[in-house]
Amino acid sequence: MSEAFVPLTDFVNESKSIPRDHPLDKPVAKWTEEEVLNGEIVEAGVVILRTRGCYWSIKEGCSMCGYFNDTVPGGVSDDMLREQWKRVRPILKGKKYAKIYTSGSFIDPTEVPFDFANEVMSDLSDMGVEKVLIESLPEFVNPKNFNYEKAPKLEIAIGLESSNPVVLDKSVNKRLRWPHFVKVCKLARDNGAEVKAYILLKPPYLSEKESIDDAVKSAIDAAPHVDKISINPVNVQKNTVVEKLWFRNEWVAPWLWSVVDVLKKCEDLPIRVYSDPTGGGTRRGAHNCHDCNKKILQALNNHRLGLGDLKGLHCNCKSRWDVLVQQSNLRRNGSEPHGYRSGFSGSRHF
Amino acid sequence: MEPISHEGLGRLLKLDSSLQTPHIVFSRTELSESGNLETGGTIKIGKVFDLPPSPLGLDSDKPPYLQLSKDIAVIDNAYSLQPKKLVEIASTFRKEAGFSRLIYAPAVEPSQMPILAYLGVDIFDDLNVELRSSTGWVLESGEWIKNNGKIDDLFAHNKEELNRWILRIRNALLNGKLRELVEVTSLHNPRVSQILYHSTQLLIDKGAKVKSNIRSNDLSLNHPAIVDFQDRLSDYEPPAKNMVLLILPCSARKPYFKSSSHKRFFNALREVDNYLALHVVSVTSPLGLVPRELEFCYPAAHYDIAVTGKWSASEIEMLRNQLIKLNPKEHYAKAIVHAGSSSKIMTNLIKELGIEVVDTRVEKPSSYEGLEILQNVARMSLTGIPLLNTKDRAHGEARGLAKFQYGEMSDFLIKSEISGRMPYKLRCGDFAAMSPVVGGFGLTLNGAITYASQGGPIVVAEDFKLIGDLFAVGVKSYKGNWNIGDQVVIKQNDEVTAVGIAKMVPEEMISMNRGVAVEVRHHV
Repeated sequence: MSEAFVPLTDFVNESKSIPRDHPLDKPVAKWTEEEVLNGEIVEAGVVILRTRGCYWSIKEGCSMCGYFNDTVPGGVSDDMLREQWKRVRPILKGKKYAKIYTSGSFIDPTEVPFDFANEVMSDLSDMGVEKVLIESLPEFVNPKNFNYEKAPKLEIAIGLESSNPVVLDKSVNKRLRWPHFVKVCKLARDNGAEVKAYILLKPPYLSEKESIDDAVKSAIDAAPHVDKISINPVNVQKNTVVEKLWFRNEWVAPWLWSVVDVLKKCEDLPIRVYSDPTGGGTRRGAHNCHDCNKKILQALNNHRLGLGDLKGLHCNCKSRWDVLVQQSNLRRNGSEPHGYRSGFSGSRHF
Repeated sequence: MEPISHEGLGRLLKLDSSLQTPHIVFSRTELSESGNLETGGTIKIGKVFDLPPSPLGLDSDKPPYLQLSKDIAVIDNAYSLQPKKLVEIASTFRKEAGFSRLIYAPAVEPSQMPILAYLGVDIFDDLNVELRSSTGWVLESGEWIKNNGKIDDLFAHNKEELNRWILRIRNALLNGKLRELVEVTSLHNPRVSQILYHSTQLLIDKGAKVKSNIRSNDLSLNHPAIVDFQDRLSDYEPPAKNMVLLILPCSARKPYFKSSSHKRFFNALREVDNYLALHVVSVTSPLGLVPRELEFCYPAAHYDIAVTGKWSASEIEMLRNQLIKLNPKEHYAKAIVHAGSSSKIMTNLIKELGIEVVDTRVEKPSSYEGLEILQNVARMSLTGIPLLNTKDRAHGEARGLAKFQYGEMSDFLIKSEISGRMPYKLRCGDFAAMSPVVGGFGLTLNGAITYASQGGPIVVAEDFKLIGDLFAVGVKSYKGNWNIGDQVVIKQNDEVTAVGIAKMVPEEMISMNRGVAVEVRHHV
């Protein structure tokens, strides 16, 4: 029975709420983490600047994205952005790798003014940073938006999410088209930037098995066009469609076994495919049972840094994951009974 | 498919010689994946049917709630929807799905299957049972028990038990005992009890009236048939003005007037002058108050309850509400309470409403001494009460009953030539006569003609000689609305040819090709 296409527009907009007031002169967050640069493990400085936020999240937004909660709807003035930059400089000093995030697109000139971005890049270059990672929607990946006077090697991370248009339309609510993505990857690489693709694992509505298949397929599709791929297991962020579905028990966060499975299936790809699950091991993030969360997350981190592989991992909950994956496409959504991952031990669940 | 039995919104359908609903499909052999996101896979229920696609991008909080393929309607998330929302959705099941589609609820727990079947779900699966089995739990009568011993192939074992469980649901549905099974599963399951609680009004409005015995308990205060009876007491009027209200205890035997205790009351009372001016109302739980004329009406003659002699706070509150609906201050001159253990409560409640009341203070109401006291108190109370003759009393009784049963459409019965007297010989001219099967006045063919002309529900049948019951295949169209168990008029060629009791709801009669649509009581 054919049915008219129902965009998620209303559902997304009804899930959102106006972000609370934030101080404009402070960044959202800053920290350091281990990263791989030219085959070596280095310490990377990570900062999230507070901006007006992603233009798409203002209009509609994606079903799993709650980053708009950290934005300022009225926008942040250039002065305040410079104030924020002053506060994050110390953490970037002396690092070879920097990640500059906003809760949107760094190279959207209406979100981060080009002049300010230009200053930031030349400052980073002066500090000795060799490579800088920024994020953007594909529509802003245009040389005129990142044609800086002086800048470290640029790595642009693009949220591909999935190469399947059905998933993009009916699950993620992202207006991205595969041919356009391929085009902007080429454009970025032709202009001296590297491209990192984000691929979602288990966007809403999808079952465990569907989501594994979709992530693997998307990674295989994207591999020729990008320099590395990060598999992002969907986590439950505030005021999103995903959170609503999670509250209603119509969807639960993916298993870490699924993450491992996807990475194993992508082992033969010519580029690095890894995962650093946000909120891993918690109820809102990718998780297994209580016994093995830590162990698997450690293994994933080692895999990301090239320190180990994902072989030989085991836990009692693995067989449960097998049973679920086998039947998950028949379940018609991404749900499972409460307490299943721990074998319904403890209190009663029915 | 052929409807065999209904209860609540649930239905027992015969699909073919060996298949009946509610039915379990076994996922490994009877469900198949679709291979892509936009189609729905298949389900095998005898034959293989297409499933609708899964609800990508939809908000389960908004209509349409069901996903439809040609033969199947899926209620996704039945296991997790908010109880109130689920009931709201259940009220639109047939509007969205019609009657020819089977309603399938994927991945629900066995403990929720009875209530979902009660609300109209036809098909369940074993997906959650498979997950439970893989963690070593054993299914036993819809509940999960942790297994310490070793069972080879636990999933196979649990599938067999699941089959027994669905058989039990089906059997309950066949015997009008599904409500009992639902109540049992609700006892220690907050979700099921919430759903049950919220579904009362829906079941009153749309549920099949199966008239099975209500073996009542504390949950029965919310039984749709009981709440419906209680609600309708507000429109009720006693047979005459200024009668003396006599509160008697209920009896185990139903209807009460057939019990030995009530026969003894009657024999004692009829020696009193003007005893017809006494109006007997029995006090009972969970129904509250049952006036004598309504003792035939469902469920007054169809329930049973554990007699403890104690009244709970909620029961007393219920009695107070029922008494207010009866409106003694307006309808009665005074009151006598002769109800054994409930006498004190009733006396106090009646006093609250400000009418004169005498409590006989007898512990054993039907004992010899008790009857003597009752006789004396009745004699005293009846002095000064105007004489009520048999004819006027019968008239009043017929009016009360007709109004209770037919509401606004009861005029033609009230204005007819009423004859006979309670219980069995009461008639409304040639329009209606007492019928324990109908539970009150059953329409005659003549009554049916008038009833139809005043807007009573009509089933229009094909043109053929009607000799027995009317089957769904012979139904052409319908007018008006009714629930299963209501009386309907059958018209053929624009002529009323029969009257009977509906066994299907209106749209169902049109959709179904098999099964009894109307159980005919009178035909030309």
